[in-house]
Order: sequence, then C-alpha cells, then structure tokens
Amino acid sequence: MPKLMIDDRKIEVAPGVKVIAAAEQAGIVIPRFCYHPALGSVGACRLCAVKFLDGPVRGLQMSCMVEARDGMVISSTDDEAVDFRRFVIELLMRNHPHDCPVCDEGGYCLLQDETIAGGHAMRRSMGKKRTHRDQYIGELVQHEMNRCIQCYRCQRFYQDYCGYRDFGVMGSASRVYFGRYADGALENPFSGNLIDICPTGVLTDKPARFKGRRWDFQRAPSICIHCSLGCSITVNARYRELVRVEARRNDDINGHFICDRGRYGFAFANHPDRPRQARINGRDTSYEEAIQTTTQRLSEIARTLGPDSIACLSSSRAGVETQMSLKFLTRSQGWRQPGCFVDRSEQNSVTAAVGRLTPERVVSLGEIEKADLILVIGVDPILEAPMLALAMRQAQRAGAGIIILNPQPVSVPFAYDHRPISPDDLCSTLQKWTRSISSQTRTESHFVEKHEEYRGPETPSVPCPLPPVDSLLQNSRRPMIVCGTNIVGTAIIHAAADLARDIHSDCRFPGLFYVLPGPNAFGAAFASAGGKSFSDILPDIETGNIKALILVEADPIFQFPDQERVKNAVKQLDLLVVLDYVPSRSVGFAGQSLAEMVSPAPLHVVIPTLTHFETQASFINQEGRLQQTTPVHVNGLPMSQLTGGKHPPRKFRSDVPGAGARAAWQVLSELEAVLSSTPADSITFADIWYRIGLAWNISVENRTEIPGNLRILSTTVESEPMTEHYRDD
Amino acid sequence: MPRNEQIYPIFLIRLQLETINKMQSPSSYQSIFEGAYGLLTGFATTIRHLFRKPITEPYPEFKRRLPERTRATIILTRDPDGEERCVACYLCSGVCPVNCISMQSAERSDGRRHAAWFRVNFARCIFCGFCEEACPTLAIQLTPHFETCQPDILRLLYEKEDLLVNHGGKNNAYNFYRHAGVAMGIDKGDHLGEDRPVDVRSLMP
Ligand code: SF4
Ligand code: SF4
Ligand code: SF4
Ligand code: SF4
Ligand code: FES
Repeated sequence: MPKLMIDDRKIEVAPGVKVIAAAEQAGIVIPRFCYHPALGSVGACRLCAVKFLDGPVRGLQMSCMVEARDGMVISSTDDEAVDFRRFVIELLMRNHPHDCPVCDEGGYCLLQDETIAGGHAMRRSMGKKRTHRDQYIGELVQHEMNRCIQCYRCQRFYQDYCGYRDFGVMGSASRVYFGRYADGALENPFSGNLIDICPTGVLTDKPARFKGRRWDFQRAPSICIHCSLGCSITVNARYRELVRVEARRNDDINGHFICDRGRYGFAFANHPDRPRQARINGRDTSYEEAIQTTTQRLSEIARTLGPDSIACLSSSRAGVETQMSLKFLTRSQGWRQPGCFVDRSEQNSVTAAVGRLTPERVVSLGEIEKADLILVIGVDPILEAPMLALAMRQAQRAGAGIIILNPQPVSVPFAYDHRPISPDDLCSTLQKWTRSISSQTRTESHFVEKHEEYRGPETPSVPCPLPPVDSLLQNSRRPMIVCGTNIVGTAIIHAAADLARDIHSDCRFPGLFYVLPGPNAFGAAFASAGGKSFSDILPDIETGNIKALILVEADPIFQFPDQERVKNAVKQLDLLVVLDYVPSRSVGFAGQSLAEMVSPAPLHVVIPTLTHFETQASFINQEGRLQQTTPVHVNGLPMSQLTGGKHPPRKFRSDVPGAGARAAWQVLSELEAVLSSTPADSITFADIWYRIGLAWNISVENRTEIPGNLRILSTTVESEPMTEHYRDD
Repeated sequence: MPRNEQIYPIFLIRLQLETINKMQSPSSYQSIFEGAYGLLTGFATTIRHLFRKPITEPYPEFKRRLPERTRATIILTRDPDGEERCVACYLCSGVCPVNCISMQSAERSDGRRHAAWFRVNFARCIFCGFCEEACPTLAIQLTPHFETCQPDILRLLYEKEDLLVNHGGKNNAYNFYRHAGVAMGIDKGDHLGEDRPVDVRSLMP
C-alpha cells in the first residue's frame, strides 16, 4: 500500500491507483478534462499537471498518468504547476467559439469553470479560430463541434465502454473531429451519457435544449422506474415541469451512467392529459366528495354483498407505501387480498424469483462487473434491463466469459457465447449442469466423462464444439447466474436458483441475479402474497361475484391481452375506482361520461395521484434493495401548459393551479380511516413506514428517510408465505 | 496603552463638571451672550439664503436631462439588424441580487435562441446595474428614465413587450451572432475571426 503526501496531506492508497484519484481520496480535486474514473486516463488534455517534489518521480507530470507510489511528495499548488495549467487552459480556449450565452452546457460546463479558475479572462491570440461543421446525431443529443477540446471522453465512452461503433474520432492534427461518419441517429442506447461525460458543450441534451440553466432548476436525487434495476438519477424541474434527468453516481448499481430510457423517459410527468382533478362518472368534483361517495358505495356493497365482492389491484410500478397501504386497507376491511399483477404467470414468476433470493447468493448490478463468468438465461438485457448489458460488457472487458442461453441470438454490445437451447430443454439442461457440477465438486475425477456426455445435446450443429457450459462453470470463481422472469416459467427460475446454490463451493462463489418486470415488482411480490392476479379475478367480475374494483396505479384495460373482454366485464361493476397519475386506458375508461354506459347506476371514480417526482416514494429493485425518491417539485399544472408558453399570469393567487392530487398511499389511508371511522387527517409517511416495519418485522431507523443499502429479502423480513397459488400449466 | 485609555474619560468628565458649575453660576452673563450670538448667526444664514438664487430645481415642472449612465428603468435593445438582442442566457437573472428578472428561453422557428417571455419586476428592482454588466449581448440596459411609480403594484411587472425598444441603446453596432460560433444566419467559418470549416477527411499535415 503506497504511502504518499499530496499538498501536505499524508495518504495511503491501494496499489495501482493514479495520483489524481489518490488526491481525490485525500479531498484534493486536481483539475482535469480527459480523466474520468469510469473511463480511466489517456493524458490528452494536460490539465492535471502537478509538481512531484520528491520520491521516485520528479518534476512536472500529469497526475492522471502517474501511479501513486511510496514516498511521493506532490504539490498541486506549486507555482510551476499552476502556471502550466493556466497556459493549457489558454491554449484550449484558442479555438473556442464565443458561444457561452447560447450554449446549453453553461451551468454544467467544466471548461467554463476551469477557465474562470485559471484566471483566463482576456483573449490574447490574434489568430483565426478553427471551425467545424456539426452533425445531426439524432433527437437525443445535440452536436456543436466547435466547442470541442479533444479530451476523447466521448469516444472512449462510446466505443470502449459501451462497445458501439457508429460514433468516434476522425481526422488528424488539429482537425480531429468527434462524430459519426455521416449524419444519422446514434445507435447506442446509452448515448445520453455523452451529455454528462463531455466536459464541454459539444454534446448536450437535445430535448432539454434552451429550457433553462442548472442554477434555476429544482434538483433532487431520485430513482429511475423504467426497469427493475432502479438506477440512481438526478431530476431537474422548473416551473412545475420536469426538464431533464441526469445520471447520479451509485457504485452499487449503475456506476456513473444510466440508459437512454431512464434519461429521457420522464414525459409522463408533464403529460398534458394527466388526471389532475377527481372525477365521478365523468364529472369533475372535489377530492373530498370523491372520497365520500366512494366510501359510501364501498360500505354499501360490503354490507349487501359481503366484503368478498370488493377486489383491489395495484401494480409493480406503484411504490412500496402504496402497495402496502392497499394491503392494510383490504386487511382492515376484510376484503379480498390485493393483487399486483395482471397476469397469473407473471405473479408466479416474480414470486418464485423473490422467494429464491438469499443473502448469500444475491448480487447487485455493481458486482456483475466483477464476475468471471456470466450465464444469461431467458433475458434480453437491452430490452429488459439496459444497464445490465453495460455491466456485463465491463465484466467481459475485464476477462469474463458470457454465455447466453436463448433460442434466438440477442442484440448486445459485446461478444458472447450463444447456446441456442429450446425453451423445452432449458430447464432440464440447467438441472443436468447443476447435478454434474455438484457431483464433480464432490468427486473431481469424473470430469472428462461429463464432457463427453453433455456435448451432444447442447451444441447440436456447431461444427467446432464450444466448451461445455458445466466445465466453464466448474472452472470459474465468481460465476453469475442472470435469469429473466418475463418469458421463462417458474421451473427455470427455480432451476437457476438451484444451479447458483449447488455450484457453491469453497473456491466458487456464485451470484444470482434476477431481472423482474417492473421497478417495484419485488415489493409487489410481498404485497400480493395471498392475493390473486387480475387474470384470476376477471371471471369473478364477469360472473358478478365481484362488484367493486379499485385500481391503484394499475391499468388492466391496457395490459390484459383481451381489452374488449375487460371492458365488458368492468361495465358490470357497481363501483370502479381508479387511482393513477398517468392518463391510462383505465383512467380514460373510468373518466368518461356515463351516458355511454349500459349497466344500471354504476359509479366510476377517478382520483389523481402523485408521481415519484412529486412525493417521497420507495421502490425495491430486483436485488431487494429498498430505495427512496426525494420529491423534486410540487405537483401542479406546468406553467408552460397554464399559459401556453407565454409569460406567467398577471394576477395573484394563493393556490397552485392543477394541484389537486395526493399520493396514492394518502388516498388509501384516508379511505381506510373513513371506512373504519378513525381520524384521517394525521396519517404521515412515517406512520405508513411504522406499519410496514411492523408487518415485515424490520426496523427502519428514521422512517422518513430510508438508506439506499437496506435489502428486503423474503428470508430476512417476515411476510405472509408467498406461495404460488396456481402452477404454470 | 491601557493607562491612556483610562485617563481620557476621567479627563472628559472633569471638563463637563466644570462647565455645569459655570452655567449654574448666576453671574455668567458671558454664557447668555454666547447663546444669543449662536442663535442670531444661524438665522442670519437663513435670511441670507432667502435672497439667493436657488440651486434646487422644481420637479416635475423642470425636468433635467440626466447623464446617459444614470441607472433606472431597464430596456431590451435590438441589434443592428433589428433583431432582439437577448438570447435568454439567464445571466442577468442569475446575477440579479433581488431576483427581479425572470424569463423562459426558447428556440425560435429558425433555430435562434430567444426569450419566449421576459419579465422585470420593477417593484423589486434596485437599479444596481448588475444585469447590464453581466449581459454578454448588450441586450439589457438601464436608462435614465426613472418615473415608473404606479398605484397598482402589478403594473410594475414589465413584460418583454414593455421592455423591448427598437434601437441599440448605448451601442448600436454590436451584434452577438457575428462573434459567436453557432451557425445562426451566418454560416460556420463566416463569423468574425473564423477560419473556414476544416475538412475532416483531409490527410494534409
Ligand atoms: S462549452 Fe462551456 S465554455 Fe464553451 S461555449 Fe459552452 S458553456 Fe461556454
Ligand atoms: S466532444 Fe466533448 S467529450 Fe468528445 S472530445 Fe470533444 S470535448 Fe471531449
Ligand atoms: S437500466 Fe433500467 S433503471 Fe437503469 S436507467 Fe435504464 S431503465 Fe432506468
Ligand atoms: S443577460 Fe442579456 S442576453 Fe442574457 S438573458 Fe439577460 S438580457 Fe438576455
Ligand atoms: S486529466 Fe490528465 S491529461 Fe487530461
């Protein structure tokens, strides 16, 4: 462990760490452009110069290129180093356009910061500036090549880190150009990270173009809810409108980056048709009236037809608080247990996966990068969990082998070993490998025989036989079993877990990584324990056994394959309550005027709720990690929609326009309070978490702020037994 | 040092006591005389000024032309081509110490960055001139016009239409887009001090 001294601070760092990173550990930030912790060093910008006063290296050197070694004495404030850095900045600004006022990087610009810090205020060079033509690189990233300082970060990210080839560096000498060979949209599904990574305004956020400056935004740490990984993001809002999303560093999950779906998928929060007002039978009404009407009808139905005729459905995109308040509501009223899935097999798969994760086997996305062998079963990473593909690529760059078991090849940005196994054989093959490896672990002597035995069925028509998977697994130290839950059934989910469990040995530490079908599918498995999926209660609605349906951030009319059947069934209900924050099909159905309805006197209620950008909400990602969002702004009609893009209204008002919505858990708690005749006004976020803590028998220290490293696993928390009620046929 | 500090107040107190003793003495006609003298010289100055020409000006009957750099009402100027100079860069609103400037930047149909709306709240503005100093396009300028009182505070909210003038204010020559590098009306390489765009595929040294 090298010990060194930087600016009179003594530190000890791991071997192989560059001086620039060592300084950061000591709290000293050396200026840099080209160095990035995720991309490494290239020494392209020369801005990180420091003076080595003593030790194995002497003189002015680039701190990103020199490894920290014992006995080094370094000064980042030495006159020579400071002068050098000042001249580097001046040189980089030689060709820089006079663009700051119209440049979207302003407020995010590292070049601007370093120029100011270097004291370079007046241009001395009299020569002409070099210019470049820009390219159209799609609707997500804006290209303005004049501003480039040739740090190569974009190229290293795009080609080395992500493995896509359509954007890179061209030209020679001072003509070096970063772009595509010809105009066209970027192919990389992680291209949005170019915006974060480019230290200048060459690559900026196109949808957020000209929307505002960073210092005017309301910013808050949040979580992406577009897949089950739950990457960390920072959200920017202004005038009640979401403006942009940036990646937030989280070394446990997404590292420094996020995918484009997470970065650009926030339009739902600004949707012009978002429900903002409670509605009863298509008529706008007050929130209080909606609650009162709903509770009256609910108690009526419970009294006349029994509590079993009331069903509730939430979804895997609802937060933990919402799902669990629905559970508390149904429990206190004796209704049917809530469901959280539209499809029975989905519920079974998720339940199986959640049930099989154990503290010894579970791994986070960050640990995937450290694997030496990854076995991917029934999952298309780019489609189902994009950042997983990037993590697997990093593992591969570090030497890991990747085997994908899928009937067809999948599109991923790394080379992999494709084993086309038909879905029917998949389960038995996994079981065979499990048996083979666990028996080999016991008696290493049967090794060769096993090879011969299994080569045939796995690789039927490949001329040059690939090494058998079981021997690869056998020889790995940190294999990861990545398993989907979308197309594979419960049998394969169990087989994957068995494989991970049984190949564990003294020198092999397998990890198990499931990909689930929603940001809070994990929580949904807990909340729906004992409840039925929508496909199972649909017949009960059709036969009239269920007369009231409460949909909480769930949209079966859209998600169930046969939409007409659902609509016809739902028409027979006495009461349909839809709580949601997006204008879903179910909201549209329940919000229409009842003239079009046939059934006698049904009651349709829509109650708007809040997105996770507007309220605190917790989500459990696919590895059981409980994470929480911070509200970034208040709910309300975005100003641009209020005024049509014109100036804000010229009159005073004390309320926020369009701000009638409440968090779904608040609405549900209020329903519960009114139905059980207890005071409703004081149910807080902490109260909900107190109840959840009791239900799961966990202690969450400060219940209004949950640490991002708390794992909720079925083996560590108490919950109802999560049985699969109906086996897959 | 501490010694001196202590002596000084004691000396003062003694002086005051002496003066009081003197004034209490009925025989001090001298002090009465001195008092009257003081009063009369004061009035004399007043009376003398009654016959002098006044240096104040009767506002609003007389309105003096203020120096060009006087800081009062804000305007948004236009460039020599008659276009709005403001590019809605948010620097003036960022620097404003009382946060009285607000705006929304937007892209015009031809791609030019401009302010969709721009508002100055003169009920808050302290006329410090920081915005003018920060403005990189010379768009926002303070003028000597200071008569902005209104009976209704909402009328002190000036929108872009109220702020926009059809001249360049203190500088009629500067055009930001001739200096910037973005192709907005002027092609790449045609701005002031620019070389023609490079040919990336050239192999010349
Ligand atoms: S990249 Fe930075 S320094 Fe260059 S124009 Fe944009 S904001 Fe200014
Ligand atoms: S485009 Fe940006 S990231 Fe790429 S080399 Fe230029 S400044 Fe660096
Ligand atoms: S990988 Fe998933 S959670 Fe992460 S940013 Fe992309 S969609 Fe969001
Ligand atoms: S500083 Fe000038 S260009 Fe920028 S927003 Fe203000 S007035 Fe417009
Ligand atoms: S950061 Fe070291 S040379 Fe660029």
